[in-house]
Amino acid sequence: MKRYDVIVVGAGPAGLSAAIEAAKRGLRVIVFDENARPGGQLFKQIHKFFGSKEHKAKIRGFKIGEDLLKEAQTAGVEVVLNAVVLGLYLDKEVVVSHGDEVTHYKGDAIIVATGASENMITFDGWTLPGVIGAGAAQTMMNLHSIRPGKKVLMLGTGNVGLVVSYQLLQAGCEVVALVDAAAKIGGYGVHAAKLARCGVPFYLSHTIIKAHGQDCVTGVTIGEVDSKWQVIPGSEKDFEVDTICLAVGLSPMSQLLKMAGCEMEENPAKGGYVPIGNSYGETSIPGIFVAGDVSGIEEASSAMIEGRIAGVAAAARLGFIDKAELTEKTWELEQALLALRAGMFSPENKGREVIHTEEGYDVSQSLLTRGYLTNDEVLTYPGVTAAQGIHAVIECSQNIPCNPCQDACPKKCITIGEKITSLPVVNSDAQCSGCGLCVAACSGQSIFLVKEDEEVGTAMVTIPYEFYPLPEKGCQGMALDRSGKEICAAEIIEIKNVPAFDKTSLLTMKVPFNMAMKARFFKQVQEV
Amino acid sequence: MMNKINDRSRNLGDYSVGADDAMIICRCEEITKGDIRQAVHAGMFTLTEIRRYLRTGMGLCQGQTCGRLIKGIVARELGVSPLDLEPAVSRAPMRPIEMKVLGNER
Amino acid sequence: MKNNADIIIIGSGVIGNAAAYYLAKKGCSVIVLEKSESIGNGGSSRNGGGVRQSGRDKRELPLAMYGIKNIWPTLSEELDMDVEYYQQGNLRLGKTEAHRNILSGLTKNAADGGLNVRMIDGEEARAICPYLSEEVTGASWCPTDGHANPMLTTLAYYRKARQLGVRFITGEGVQEIRKIRGKARQVVTQNAVYEGETIILAAGYESREIASQLGIDIPMTQALLEVLVTEALPPMFYQMLGTAAADFYGHQSTHGSFVFGGSSGFEGVNRDNGTPTTASITASCICRGIMKYFPMLEEAKIVRSWAGWMDVCADMVPVISPVEEVPGLIIAAAFSGHGFGIAPTVGLLLSEMATAKTTTLDLSAFRYDRFKAKI
Repeated sequence: MKRYDVIVVGAGPAGLSAAIEAAKRGLRVIVFDENARPGGQLFKQIHKFFGSKEHKAKIRGFKIGEDLLKEAQTAGVEVVLNAVVLGLYLDKEVVVSHGDEVTHYKGDAIIVATGASENMITFDGWTLPGVIGAGAAQTMMNLHSIRPGKKVLMLGTGNVGLVVSYQLLQAGCEVVALVDAAAKIGGYGVHAAKLARCGVPFYLSHTIIKAHGQDCVTGVTIGEVDSKWQVIPGSEKDFEVDTICLAVGLSPMSQLLKMAGCEMEENPAKGGYVPIGNSYGETSIPGIFVAGDVSGIEEASSAMIEGRIAGVAAAARLGFIDKAELTEKTWELEQALLALRAGMFSPENKGREVIHTEEGYDVSQSLLTRGYLTNDEVLTYPGVTAAQGIHAVIECSQNIPCNPCQDACPKKCITIGEKITSLPVVNSDAQCSGCGLCVAACSGQSIFLVKEDEEVGTAMVTIPYEFYPLPEKGCQGMALDRSGKEICAAEIIEIKNVPAFDKTSLLTMKVPFNMAMKARFFKQVQEV
Repeated sequence: MMNKINDRSRNLGDYSVGADDAMIICRCEEITKGDIRQAVHAGMFTLTEIRRYLRTGMGLCQGQTCGRLIKGIVARELGVSPLDLEPAVSRAPMRPIEMKVLGNER
Repeated sequence: MKNNADIIIIGSGVIGNAAAYYLAKKGCSVIVLEKSESIGNGGSSRNGGGVRQSGRDKRELPLAMYGIKNIWPTLSEELDMDVEYYQQGNLRLGKTEAHRNILSGLTKNAADGGLNVRMIDGEEARAICPYLSEEVTGASWCPTDGHANPMLTTLAYYRKARQLGVRFITGEGVQEIRKIRGKARQVVTQNAVYEGETIILAAGYESREIASQLGIDIPMTQALLEVLVTEALPPMFYQMLGTAAADFYGHQSTHGSFVFGGSSGFEGVNRDNGTPTTASITASCICRGIMKYFPMLEEAKIVRSWAGWMDVCADMVPVISPVEEVPGLIIAAAFSGHGFGIAPTVGLLLSEMATAKTTTLDLSAFRYDRFKAKI
C-alpha cells in the first residue's frame, strides 16, 4: 500500500489546481489521470478565456494548461498519466491500474476531479457513424489534428456548441447550421456573433428529426418544434452533411463518489448526479473533496478556483495550515468564484429570460435568436460611440464576467469598473491611438476599430481575425455584415500580428463610408 | 410517505407501440427504446430492475452514454419525474480491465 | 387499495417471489412487502447462479434434485421468460491431492444420497471443458447440474406473480409482525398495516430481527459474497464451475459474459458502510484464482464487480418451517449462500405449507427449532 497525504483523481484544471495548492503547503500529493496527456479539456481549448485578469482571462486554454503543469511541477506534484482509478474504496483507498499492474494507494484526503461526460440525445439514426459529441469533435481537431468532417451540423447553442462550431470553421469545415430546441441561443452572444458574421445560420426552436445514411451520416433533417416540443408538420429542412455534432450538455462523472458512499443528489442546476458538499467541496465523507465539473457543471475558470479551494481545504483538514490561513485564502478565492458566477449567465438566471442588462439596456432579441445585433441595436450600447477619428467600437451587450479590455487600453478609453460583469463603456473624451490591443484582448472578438473619412467617402474597419491563411495586404474581397451577408467590396490595407495579440490578427479593411458600422467580417474572393 | 413507484400494481395503461420503439438506446448491449418501455410495463419500475432485466448500461461503457436516456424513458413511461428515480449504483472497476492486470497487484 | 390478503410475504427475493407465484397459481390472494426500492435486491440478484445438486448438504439434496427434475427444465416456459437455465453439468475442480480428497468426500456423500456424481481425472475434465489448464488433475462431475440467471429468475417470478394479481410494494420495510388473539396476523410498516391469514417471512438476514420480536431466534449471521463479470466473449462452455480450494465459482452466461464469484478469505470479518461493499483486494484475488484454471481468460476484461450479503445459518442449511408456537407464521430464511438453485422447490413447498397440512417433500430437517447447545 502506498500512502500520500492527498490523492487527486483527474489532472484537469480542477485537479491540477487542487494539487498545486495542497503541494505548496507541504503536502505529499499524487495526481492520477487516465489520459495520455494531462490538462483535461484545457489543451483542446484554443480560444481565449473570459474572466478577470487575475484569473487567466484572455489567455488561451491550452496555455493555461501549460502554465498549470509548470506550476504543478514546481510545487512538487507527482502526476501519473495513463493511470485509471478503478475504484474508491473504504478508508480513502484507491486502486489504480497503470501499465500491466494495479496498485493500492491510501490518501489521508482524496480530491475527486473527474470532470464530466457528454450527454447524448436520440433521434432516428443517432447511432450512425458521423454523429459525435461536440467535445469529441474538439478533441479530434485540436489534439489530434483530424478534421471530424467536411460539412457539419451542430445541435446545441450553449457555449460548447458555439465555441466548437467556430473552431470547426477555423479547421476548415463548413458549419451548415446551428440548431437548438430552445427558442433562444443558450451561450454568450459574442460567441454567437462570431459565427453569424461568418454566415452560419441559427435555427432556434428546431430539433433533429433524422440522420440520413446507411453506413455513415450523409444528411440530416431538422424541423421546427411547437411549445410542446412537437415537430410542426411542413417545417422540415434537409441538409447534406457528413457530421452531426451534439452539444447538448454535460453530466458529472461522479461514479467514484457514489461508489465511495458519499451522499449524492440529483441536481438539475448542477447538470446531474452530484455529491452533496460544503463550500470547500468536502463531501459527506470527511476528507473526500470534489472540485470542477464533477461537483456541478460549470467551466474551466471556475473549476480552477474550486480546485484551489479544495486543495487549501485539504491542507487545513490534515493540519498543514491553520484555520486563519484557510479562511483568508478561501475568502479570496470565493470572491473570484462569485464574480465568475455573476451576470446574465449566472446559475440563478439559468432558464430565466433576462430582458434588460444590469445597467438597464435592452437585451437584443436579434442576438438571442439570430446571433447578431441589428444595425440599430448596436448603437444603443455604451461601448459604441460616434467619435471622430479612429476609435474602438465595443459590441458587447450582455453582462458576462469578463474585463480584459479595460486593462488592455493604454489610453484608458475603456471602463468596466468594479463589477466584472458590467458592460464596457467607451469614454469618448479619451484619445484612442488605434493600437488594437483591445481588439486582440477581447475573448469574444467583439471589439472593432473604426475610422470614418466622410470627405473621401471611405472608412477603415479593423477586425479580429483568427483564420488561416491570412489575406495579404492589398487583397480584394467582400465585407460581410453582422449577419454574414456580403454588403460591399473591401480591400485589406493592413494586417497586424504582434506577439501581444497572441495569435489574433488584426485586419484593417477599407469599405465605403456608409459601411463603417456594418462591415464586420472579411471574405477573400476566391481567384478562379 | 409512500413513493409513487412503490406500488407495483399501479396501472400504467396499456402498452402502445411507439413510432421510435426500434431505436437503439443502450449501444453496448443493443437495447431498444421499445425493450425499455415494455420492461416498465412488465413491472420493472426502477433503474436497477431495468438493468438486471435487460442489461441496459451493463456493457463496456457501464451506462456512461445511455444512463440519462434510460432514466428519461422509464420516468415518462411511469408518469413520474426523472428526479423521482434513484440512479442505479456505481461499481468498480470504473473502466473495463483485463483479468491479468487486475490480478497483478502490487 | 385493500391491505388484506390470504398471505402476506415479507421479502421479494427469489424465495418470496417464487412462493408468491405458486400461491397465486393456487388462487390465493398475496401481498409481497419489500424493504428495498427494487425487487430482489439482496442475495437473489447477486449470487453466482448455480443450480447444483453436487456439493450440497445431504439435507438439501432432495430439494435440489426435485427442482432439477421437475421445475427447472420447464421454468422458462412456465414463466414466459427465458431464465437462461443450462443443464450441462457441474465440474468441481482440483489441482492437488488434498483437493482430490476433498472432492472424493463430497462425491461419496452425494452419491450415497442417490445423485449421479463421480470423480474424474484431469484428462476427462479437459475432454468435457477443453479450456481447462493442465494444472487441473481431477474433478467431481455431476452431469445433471447447471446454472441459470439469478436476476432474471427472480424477476421472472415477480413478473408472472404480478400478472396473476399479486400485489408487490417496495420501499416497505417491516417494523413488526403483530399477533392478534394469539395468531400472527398483522404486518406493520412505516406506512400501513397489512393483514393476512398466513405470513411468510423470507427477508434473508433481516428475518432475524423481525422474528425475534415474536420470541423466535434463527441463529444466523451476515456474510459478504463478491461476484465479477467479464465483457461478452464468444460461446465457450456452459458447465457450472467450482473448485475444491474455493478459489472461485461461476459460468458463462447466455450473453457471453463470464460471471465468477469468489472470496479473499476475509469476507467473514469485512467492514462495510451499511451497504454490501466490495473490498479493494477481492476482485484481484478472484482473477488470480480463475486464471490458474483458465489461463486463456487472462485477456478477458472485467466490466463490473458487486457484493451481496448471505444469510449464513449456524449449521449452513436454511430454515424452512412453520412456527407452531406463533400460529400463522412461516419462516424461510438463512439459505447460507446456496438458496438460489433450490428456490423454485422451496417456493412450491412454501405454497403448500401455507395452504395445506402436508408438503410434497419432507421439510423436518429445516425446522426452526432444531438448534441445540452442543453439550
